[in-house]
Amino acid sequence: MPASTAVQPRTPPATGAPPRPAARVLRIGTWVSVPVKPRSVVVGVLIGAGLFVTALLTLTLGDLGVPITRLLIPFGAELGAQEEFVLSRLRGPRLAVTLTAGAGLGIAGALFQTVTRNPLGSPDVIGLAAGASAGAAAFGLMWTGIIPLPAGALVGAVVAMVLVYAGTGQGFSSPARMIIVGIGVNAMALAFVQWIITRTTREQATVIAAYLNGSTASRSWDDARLMGLAMLVLLPCTLALSRRLQIADMGDELADALGAGAVRTKVAAVVVAICSATAAVTVVGPVAFVALMAPQIGRRLTRAPGPNIAVAALTGALILAVADLAVQQGPFGVQLPVGILTAGVGGVYLGYLLMKEWKRISV
Amino acid sequence: MTTAAGLSARDVTLAYDARTVIEELSFDVPDAEFTVIVGPNACGKSTLLKALARTLKPVSGEVLLDGRAIGEYRSKAVARRLAMLPQSPIAPEAISVRDLVGRGRYPHQTLLRQWTSADGDAVEHALEATGVAELTDRHVAELSGGQRQRAWIAMVLAQQTEYLLLDEPTTFLDIAHQYEVLDLCSRLHAAGRTVVAVLHDLNQAARYATHLVCMKDGAILAQGRPDEIMTSELIHAAFGMDCRIITDPESGSPMVIPRHTRELARR
Repeated sequence: MPASTAVQPRTPPATGAPPRPAARVLRIGTWVSVPVKPRSVVVGVLIGAGLFVTALLTLTLGDLGVPITRLLIPFGAELGAQEEFVLSRLRGPRLAVTLTAGAGLGIAGALFQTVTRNPLGSPDVIGLAAGASAGAAAFGLMWTGIIPLPAGALVGAVVAMVLVYAGTGQGFSSPARMIIVGIGVNAMALAFVQWIITRTTREQATVIAAYLNGSTASRSWDDARLMGLAMLVLLPCTLALSRRLQIADMGDELADALGAGAVRTKVAAVVVAICSATAAVTVVGPVAFVALMAPQIGRRLTRAPGPNIAVAALTGALILAVADLAVQQGPFGVQLPVGILTAGVGGVYLGYLLMKEWKRISV
Repeated sequence: MTTAAGLSARDVTLAYDARTVIEELSFDVPDAEFTVIVGPNACGKSTLLKALARTLKPVSGEVLLDGRAIGEYRSKAVARRLAMLPQSPIAPEAISVRDLVGRGRYPHQTLLRQWTSADGDAVEHALEATGVAELTDRHVAELSGGQRQRAWIAMVLAQQTEYLLLDEPTTFLDIAHQYEVLDLCSRLHAAGRTVVAVLHDLNQAARYATHLVCMKDGAILAQGRPDEIMTSELIHAAFGMDCRIITDPESGSPMVIPRHTRELARR
């Protein structure tokens, strides 16, 4: 035996303060027990309150706004014809689409950023949104009538992601390569869109232009139902994945050792992120930077490690809802697509992020 | 020869893409020992450890756990019996020591039962056993190298496994922290765990191992108790270096003293 016998077991240090509870645990009966971070819950509730206020403002402000006193009367109460129209045709479905699409983009961003381990990893940067635009443009303007526009967007997004997957040579396992290849795919897709637009008539191009910027204007309950259904399926998938993602966040080898299957987890997360972003992009077009900003802002608010899926979804919904309220009531003119506003604000934010990354690397 | 119980590699060939590192190697992890694997760079010692931890799949041959191929078990079931700390794990951004250690409980948890009192007890125990109990609320990023490594070991300890595999746990640490981590490993072994570690320092290996394995070019040159196998011939065969073996005055274990090369001796 070596001299390790000389080693005395260390006694635990005596600290005056009582130990803090390991984690608050939410229990339902004996078969559900989930740890909860109080700060994250508070943040979630506050963002939820923000969403409620934004939704109220969206429905009540402006010439067509429904007075708040009438709005809060239970449904079926005497609404005028105009109010009925505003709620059920104009602003109601638009609000529902905005909230669900914002949440979808937030989820996609949170998943992409966790998997790529990079704050810049988002469907915008790696070419998914541009791919969806290219698909929508191709099937909406060039090969019309084969499949509907949203299906075209789906095809475009999937093709873009396949190109990124193949282009890295290592699938989705190398974050740096994914972003570099993604920027290339993004540029290719945008060039493709421009090429198609040059081949089409001005009227057609104008119609698709609003879609390509990302717009929530004149959306129907069908759009809202599609996006809502997507969220209904994807949100539970994402929440189920988020635990394994936390483990995968510690490196592939450790994730495999802990039984979380690094590659399987990453692929599942990327697939869910692509579905979520594609659903959103299909309904509102490639609204820029929401997916990039939402998880970042959520993380700064909660200060919790991990993907923080729920907070990212709420934040995404809030960002898009506020932006949409701004384009509806702000001094931008009537037709400004919401994507132009988020691109303007998000561009500044992207610059800030790049500067931060740059400083971090060069220190 | 083959026992039904325990962890072993049977004729494994291990490769990274096209580069074969180990060919048809068999190795039984001795139960309840502190095994240390040494060898020159690129001899395949970390590769063998990865195969035993089933994070690297053999090209041929198999790794057996209790006589069954390790791949036949559910991955989480294996993770309840065998923990592995890789050479460079990644600490998630803004994670506290307690949360990091808590993640070691993953294989014991299910989607609905994500945290039970057993998890809390295991984390507390791991925090105290590794001496990081006073650091629980600190962020991992702000710890010193030695503290951080102890926090990582606490994480694999919280897994509550009988096997503990450590890939170069002392790399990047200063000498005091290296011995601190090795003392910790030794205590964990004394408490009944089977520990397998890859180390670079031969004297540390000889001092702490109860079973020493010396590898070269993907094969095992010798294995056994350090004082039985550690000879100048073995060191020369493995590392191509001339040395004397003396007795460590502190621990009584063999100690490698490299010979002066001729040019230096002449000065």
